[in-house]
Amino acid sequence: MEEKHQPEQAPELVKESRRQVIKNLGIGAALLGAGALLHSGQVRAEGSSPAATAQPAGPKARVPALPDSNWQNNVLRMQRELQQALKKKTGRAPWVMVIDRQKCVGCLSCTVACKAENALPPGVVYRPVLEEEVGQYPNVARVFTPRPCMHCDNPPCVQVCPVGATYKRPDGIVAIDYDQCIGCRYCLAACPYDARSFDFGDYYTKGTPELQPYELVPNHEYGKHWSRSDGSPVGNARKCTFCIHRVEEGILPACVTTCIGGATYFGDASLEGGLVRELISSGKTFRLKEELGAAPRVYYLS
Amino acid sequence: MSQKISRRDLLKSTAFLGTTAFLASQAPSALGHLQALAAGQGQGGEYELAKAENVIYGVCLQCNTQCTLKGKILDGVLVKVDGNAYSPQSLLPPMAYNTDPQVAARVDGKLCPKGQSTIQTQYDPYRIRKVLKRAGPRGSNKWEVIAFDQAIKEIVNGGKLFGHLGEDRQVPGFKEVLVTKDAGVFKSLAGDAAKVAKKEMTPEQFKEAHKDHLNLLIDPDHPDLGVKNNQFVFQAGRIEPGRADFSKRFVINSLGSNNWYEHTTICEQSHHVAFKWFTADYSGGSWNPGPNHLKPDYLNARFIIFWGTGAFEANFGPTPMAEQVTRSAQERGMKIAVVDPRFSKTAAKAQIWVPVKPGDGDLALAMGMIRWIIESNRYDARFLENANKAAASADGEKNWSNAAWLVKLDQDGKPGALLRASEVGLSLPDRDPKHLFVVSQNGKLLAVDPKDDKNAVEGDLLAEVTVKDVRAKTAFQILKEAAGEKSLEQYADLAGIKAQAIIDLAREFTSYGKLAAIDFYRGGVQHTNGYYTGQAIIALNLLIGNFDWRGGLSGGGGSWAALGGKAHQPFDLGKMHPGKIPAFGVKMTREAAYYDKSTLFSGFPAKRPWYPFTTDVYQEIIPAIGAEYPYPAKILWLHKGTPALATPAGSAQIKILMDTKKVPLFIATDIVIGETSMYADYLFPDISYVERWAFLGSPPSTTVKTVKIRQPIASPVPEMVKVGGEEMPISMEAVFLAISERLSLPGYGAGGFGPGWDFKRPEDYYLKAVANIAAGDSPSDTVPAADSKEMGIFLAARKHLPKGVFSEAAWKAAVGSENWARAIYVLNRGGRFEDFSKAYSGDYLGHPISRLLNLYVEPVAVTKDSITGINYSGVARHVPIQHSDGKPVAYGQDYPLRLITFKEIFGGQSRTAGNYWAQNALLPENFLLMHPSDATRLGIRDGDLVRVKSPTNPEGAIDLGNGHKDYVQGRARLTETMRPGVVAASWHYGHWAYGARDVVVNGKVVKGDHRRGTGLCTNPVLLLDGYTKTTSLTDPIGGSASFYDTAVKVERVG
Repeated sequence: MEEKHQPEQAPELVKESRRQVIKNLGIGAALLGAGALLHSGQVRAEGSSPAATAQPAGPKARVPALPDSNWQNNVLRMQRELQQALKKKTGRAPWVMVIDRQKCVGCLSCTVACKAENALPPGVVYRPVLEEEVGQYPNVARVFTPRPCMHCDNPPCVQVCPVGATYKRPDGIVAIDYDQCIGCRYCLAACPYDARSFDFGDYYTKGTPELQPYELVPNHEYGKHWSRSDGSPVGNARKCTFCIHRVEEGILPACVTTCIGGATYFGDASLEGGLVRELISSGKTFRLKEELGAAPRVYYLS
Repeated sequence: MSQKISRRDLLKSTAFLGTTAFLASQAPSALGHLQALAAGQGQGGEYELAKAENVIYGVCLQCNTQCTLKGKILDGVLVKVDGNAYSPQSLLPPMAYNTDPQVAARVDGKLCPKGQSTIQTQYDPYRIRKVLKRAGPRGSNKWEVIAFDQAIKEIVNGGKLFGHLGEDRQVPGFKEVLVTKDAGVFKSLAGDAAKVAKKEMTPEQFKEAHKDHLNLLIDPDHPDLGVKNNQFVFQAGRIEPGRADFSKRFVINSLGSNNWYEHTTICEQSHHVAFKWFTADYSGGSWNPGPNHLKPDYLNARFIIFWGTGAFEANFGPTPMAEQVTRSAQERGMKIAVVDPRFSKTAAKAQIWVPVKPGDGDLALAMGMIRWIIESNRYDARFLENANKAAASADGEKNWSNAAWLVKLDQDGKPGALLRASEVGLSLPDRDPKHLFVVSQNGKLLAVDPKDDKNAVEGDLLAEVTVKDVRAKTAFQILKEAAGEKSLEQYADLAGIKAQAIIDLAREFTSYGKLAAIDFYRGGVQHTNGYYTGQAIIALNLLIGNFDWRGGLSGGGGSWAALGGKAHQPFDLGKMHPGKIPAFGVKMTREAAYYDKSTLFSGFPAKRPWYPFTTDVYQEIIPAIGAEYPYPAKILWLHKGTPALATPAGSAQIKILMDTKKVPLFIATDIVIGETSMYADYLFPDISYVERWAFLGSPPSTTVKTVKIRQPIASPVPEMVKVGGEEMPISMEAVFLAISERLSLPGYGAGGFGPGWDFKRPEDYYLKAVANIAAGDSPSDTVPAADSKEMGIFLAARKHLPKGVFSEAAWKAAVGSENWARAIYVLNRGGRFEDFSKAYSGDYLGHPISRLLNLYVEPVAVTKDSITGINYSGVARHVPIQHSDGKPVAYGQDYPLRLITFKEIFGGQSRTAGNYWAQNALLPENFLLMHPSDATRLGIRDGDLVRVKSPTNPEGAIDLGNGHKDYVQGRARLTETMRPGVVAASWHYGHWAYGARDVVVNGKVVKGDHRRGTGLCTNPVLLLDGYTKTTSLTDPIGGSASFYDTAVKVERVG
């Protein structure tokens, strides 16, 4: 019981590699700077004086409530807006995703939901959540960064594919044609976000008393049935599809619907009055490694 | 590179225990279909998972939050699980309850990673499918498969069941334990036994009156121990409402044993116990416990303290709570403080982190805050002065407290019972003055009827009076003095923080009026002083008067009565039980019983502790059997539990389980061979939470009314058998029904529910509850009947289920045709969910608890501890970590670190080791987290293999018997997120069974999977109680097992 094996999720709990990944993603510097702690308002009470908000009133006074949270169901709203976008005959912008790291609670539910939705085998992870721990006790912070495929507008993976199996679709999706993919893995190396993995054809329950049916059912990637018991996508490069098989049915990606912190948004950024448009035009978003010019379609808040 | 899987591979794999269960027996079309699909690889395919015909709603059980889920079935295989969009626990606000199921099928609600991994709990390659009988000594992991009927016959009849293994002993069967099933005899014995205990009848008189039945009693000299049926002990780990009701009917009311248990004391029981006595209602001269769980209204609060818990891991639970907290924090500016020695994921979103010292640090911090708040006059005096309902109403409050009530003092000034009006010559018209209380108002005494809603009575909060020879003080005064027993600096020292930190947290907490609340769960209370910590934290909430306020503390939305009982509901399940047995007698754990009011009383100390205020003292069940106190047991049935792994100091439990004299027959129901069920004589496969039934409400973080229905979604993995001519999967329910049939137990079989209503199948029970829920609270509260379209969806979605699970005729018969269509309406939505608009009513929560709140808990205050003979305290006060004989736990230099545990959100105690997508993939092994400064001192580097040792487990091992030993060791991870001096391990690793170990079945080895046995579980090193020696340290009032009071040393291995 002492055999050590590496987490698939990889980075988050193996310190060195985590740091490395974060560094590679170019988000570490921002976090390590003074900004992170101040931004999240971290105050530690082990003895330092936590600048308790000077609310003069004791409990005898009835303190007014904060302004009502205009609480709406974002999932239902985004799904409605998704369906509106799908009805557009022209002018639909490519799909975008927005991830609010202040709301990401590092639960990894998206990672697992994605595994289940796409029947992913060992070693294939479409949406890890990177975790970084910064600071020194007691002034520490933990920051969680979900990292799907960025569906770049200028995707480095497409350029290196020798057979044209990886291509950019008009709806913004960077897709892999499993029938064309020869498994050379150039794209894995080319992706600056480390967003691709290779399907070695392994099964979680191989070597146990019985291979289990959930590993054999076909998935629905790109709106087709793909059963791993025969050929592709085994032996292919694999990555997040923005759950386009759901999106085209008017259903949000699995990582969005299962997000318990309400941190992930998806939709058509051009839709008038749409939530995603609202977030992107807030001026608070940034993209990972923007300087590389890959023009990712995944935006981060905070 | 690729590893192809052929049909031959699929079929040759040795399916666990004899059948290729999935492919051969359940979804005959699946393999063919999969191959057909494979042949058309890459062809266009519709998204079948979004069609209502492929969806069945159910309830998760990867943790006790039990989120509402939506199972998606493809060709008979459960392939995906998401949240149920009808339910506020999965989507907030949810879709309207009357939404067309086809529309709802296209909206997925939230689920946590454990829930998302449901499929791997269901299709676990180590699931048991047939009955196993041990083929070697207990715990040898040698088994033979035996037929279900044969197993039932053996456990019912008993006999020389293991003679072939050289065990020359007669094993008792259920037949032997069931000495009577005559409800009349039970009733008459119980009534007079109570009189003997109260000394209203002498033992001699009792023996004379019941001379024909003395042989039925465990001990005729102690008739209050009950009849011999009590020698059957049912110990459930996780058994949820609905299934708990189902099992109680069998154990208590048909087999007549009082020894039914669940696991709550190893979870957070002292939290429940603190709440239920704090909210106890007083009527007719007695106290009746109230709601046992309240949670902040995160949607509207301005400041929340998570105390020893959080919103994003464990608790109750992340899926319903997380978004409420993240959005309130980010969109409304709600502030968060976290009290926890570990910088949790919740702390990562907090403004204030208080890394309190484990042990009595939580209680010290809470008492310090109380002290400062009272001294600084930052409490809601206007609220606290209200002594009855009318006074509360006049102030716009839903609740009133006993803060101003007077408490009598003894000669030494020690508080005891509450002062009654009759004792000082006060009275009120038409009321019994013995049941009225007293306040002092500007020195004048007034009688109080707590429930009086006409005449408001307010009292002084700080008062001490002497009337005639009676001295009394207000409850508030007593709390103030209790909090004043130590200075802020002393509290700070105990809590391991600076006094200013106590003040800062208390000031912040009292800066938002009623729009602040403290959430607490496990961390604060799994200490020997856990009940007092709970009382102190609830008292803090009371001091700001936040109960039932929008943005304050919520009792949750409540639920519909599934068991029936309302006039228009079709089935009163409690009463539909011909020949129902009223089991009685002191339980093995002496819980809910008073030592000094029993016939076993022979002065203090008792042989082992008694627990009058709590129930389900899980860690003590097996040790009590081992000690044969208060009596020996004959049959132990462990259901979905693993005390050897999950209770502290499991070696002691294992030793007793291996002793066939102490535990003559040990049977278990489990889905996998677990760490404890591996010691069973007979192991019956159970069905998983997506194969079976239950019904239950939501945790209080859901503020509208809900009932969640668990129903069969997936075809069962266990073998189908016939019970009384009915086909069903082997399961807990099937074993009950089979035993009932053999012993003709009351309440089962033809007419088991009464004339015309048979109890032959599990759904005969569960579906009646569904019909009750559909009927609602009143005739105008009934759900619509499913129309023909919905009926069609209902049938189509169940086409993959075998007839022994779903048969329209059988289901319809269970509820009667008049209730059928409405039941379908509920089943098509996975329960019943109130519209979210009912969550609030103006400034208040929509479902207020509206009751008396007991700052002073009289029943606790007047009770003597069974070991020390000393009275407990009626208010929270600081007491150190103690053994059950009152001796403080000694913390010396040899064991310099304090140990705590937590859970990653993808882990759930003992049952997520086979979740290959989640626990295994995300974190293949857990770590012992420690601060670098501690590690440096000990010469430990990041990644080193280390062993954890404690004073009562100096070897750092767990003895599994039969020459096997496991060590409490894993890899160290150095992190700045740990308080120096404290180490932590997540508690869902370190398995030595549950698929991690090789087992032999019918002479063949089934290889274990090493991925399932990685990491460490620290429970084995937790401290044993110095008095009982075989049970962990335990809170004598709340019953919680101590998980956070152990000092350890950590050593590098090798």
